[in-house]
Amino acid sequence: MGKTITEKILSRVTGDDVSAGDIVYPEPELVTIHDWYVVNFDKALEELGVERLYDPDKVLICTDHEPVAVSPAAAERQKKVREIVAKFGIRRFFDAGRGGHGHVFPVEMGFVWPGMFVEAYDVHVTNFGAVGALAIPLLIEITEVLACGSVWLRAPETVRVNLTGKLSAGTGIRDVAQKLICDLGAERVDYSVVEYGGPALASIDIAGRHTLCNTPIDIGAKSVLVEPDGSTLDYLAGRVDGPVEPVVSDPDAGFREVVDYDLDVMEPQVAVPPTPDCVVGVSEVAGRAVDHAFIGSCAAANLGDLRAAAEILAGNRVHPRVRFIVTPGTQEVMAAAETEGLLRLFAEAGAMITQPGCGPCAGGRIGGVADGETSINTGTRNDYGRLGSQKAEIYLAGAATVAASAVSGEIADPRDLLD
Amino acid sequence: MNWTYRGKCWKFGDNLGIDGDVMPLRFALERELDPAVLRDWLMTGIDPDFPRKVSPGDIIVAGRRFGQGNPHIQGFLGIVGHGLGLVAETIPRGSFRNAINAGLPFLSGCAGVTGDVETGDDLEVDFRTGAFHNLTRNLSRRFPPLDARLQAIVEAGGWRPNLERRLARLRAGGSVVA
Repeated sequence: MGKTITEKILSRVTGDDVSAGDIVYPEPELVTIHDWYVVNFDKALEELGVERLYDPDKVLICTDHEPVAVSPAAAERQKKVREIVAKFGIRRFFDAGRGGHGHVFPVEMGFVWPGMFVEAYDVHVTNFGAVGALAIPLLIEITEVLACGSVWLRAPETVRVNLTGKLSAGTGIRDVAQKLICDLGAERVDYSVVEYGGPALASIDIAGRHTLCNTPIDIGAKSVLVEPDGSTLDYLAGRVDGPVEPVVSDPDAGFREVVDYDLDVMEPQVAVPPTPDCVVGVSEVAGRAVDHAFIGSCAAANLGDLRAAAEILAGNRVHPRVRFIVTPGTQEVMAAAETEGLLRLFAEAGAMITQPGCGPCAGGRIGGVADGETSINTGTRNDYGRLGSQKAEIYLAGAATVAASAVSGEIADPRDLLD
Repeated sequence: MNWTYRGKCWKFGDNLGIDGDVMPLRFALERELDPAVLRDWLMTGIDPDFPRKVSPGDIIVAGRRFGQGNPHIQGFLGIVGHGLGLVAETIPRGSFRNAINAGLPFLSGCAGVTGDVETGDDLEVDFRTGAFHNLTRNLSRRFPPLDARLQAIVEAGGWRPNLERRLARLRAGGSVVA
């Protein structure tokens, strides 16, 4: 029987013939950790008596959850992170203002390539699957990888999703990515890698693929990746040093399931509280008043998202009731948005533009919400408390729907503003 | 380490929640990791007297999706605290990992096992080989044992002791793979 992308990657890095279900100790070629966890892993390593990392050159640390220190405690933590990075000799350190969102800029900068094996602290590292890498989040067990170079992994099965059809007018990839996790359901993807392919993939750019790779982790997938194609190689040319070899699944690979999924989801989609897979068409929730709107996070903070929002905002102003925050994903995205005049358009419409990174989605430490308020945003999760208050309602949607809602002061169908 | 458990069967059904059924959620929120504390609260969501009824070597036999929910390790540490074994029809992925990391000898993927036992039966289970005997009913089954690399982690005592063992090997210049 042939092998899936995941089995091929794990076979290469372990040097063994790996099949789904095998217990392996694969050594990652990149390890990413974000600002808020650095102090914790340092403490854990100190307790274990570990004075040097297994391979500091594989480690990338970024300041994205709280790039602008908004309290004295945050400034102290940032200082401590810089000291820890220096102590362990970690050279790939992207401090505030240097990269942006750690699930996005490493792809832009060419640190991630098809067939690469990555492990990380944070769950949405699965974004790296946008260029065909296998990226697995470990939470606190990343400490073992830092100390010993690997941790045990049960090689996951793969659910293959073949994308078909075309986006319907007024919808975007985020609408598809959100509805997909609702339609697939947690049980079917539990502990599997979601692998995208199919004829419609060619119509989706690398930024859109980040979004497709972002949502399935929230229903219990082990990881998510896209079968690399010509677009992948075009995107990586000039970013990655050296040759790039696409790794694809064999035709007779043993998938857990093969699913066809049509990009035409009919209308913009909205995830309603309290989980990202509670998804309905926008028409079901249109008219609900909102106080807070936000475009950003690792799920949707690329140039395409900002353009979609700008298209709605052009000639409009943010509703008086609404605080509207735009957080470009990376320094590169922010600079490009400036060049295109998007930042000026947002500023003139009454939006706040924040430092690239996670934005409010990182627990609402920056630009959060108060009790009784309602937010609609492009963040990753809508659990109670995600934006600070435990008593706020959070809706998730694509950038166009969020922008339309910010203008309308209530959840709105962006197609009504585009006519 | 002794991998063969001989003791009384404690049978449970499907979908036991790791939070609430197996262990009160508050211990996860308090990040309590001491098996000697957690043992006194094991399964009290279902049977408040459970911690006083069981003896070391007894075996919990459960149905599908044992330990479902937000994966917290405390329930498995509570089982370890009593010296019990676990045989389940299935265990969801997060809890499977926690069971290994708690250093618990267990079998997962034991289809139909709850049909072979009743609470109070005398069981003997070899967790190294997967050999399962219901001595009360004179019935034997063979279930898939844990992978040898996972048995090594359980044998070491779970995540922390296994990590310390790997570090010691690393410092000695040896292989760090279990």
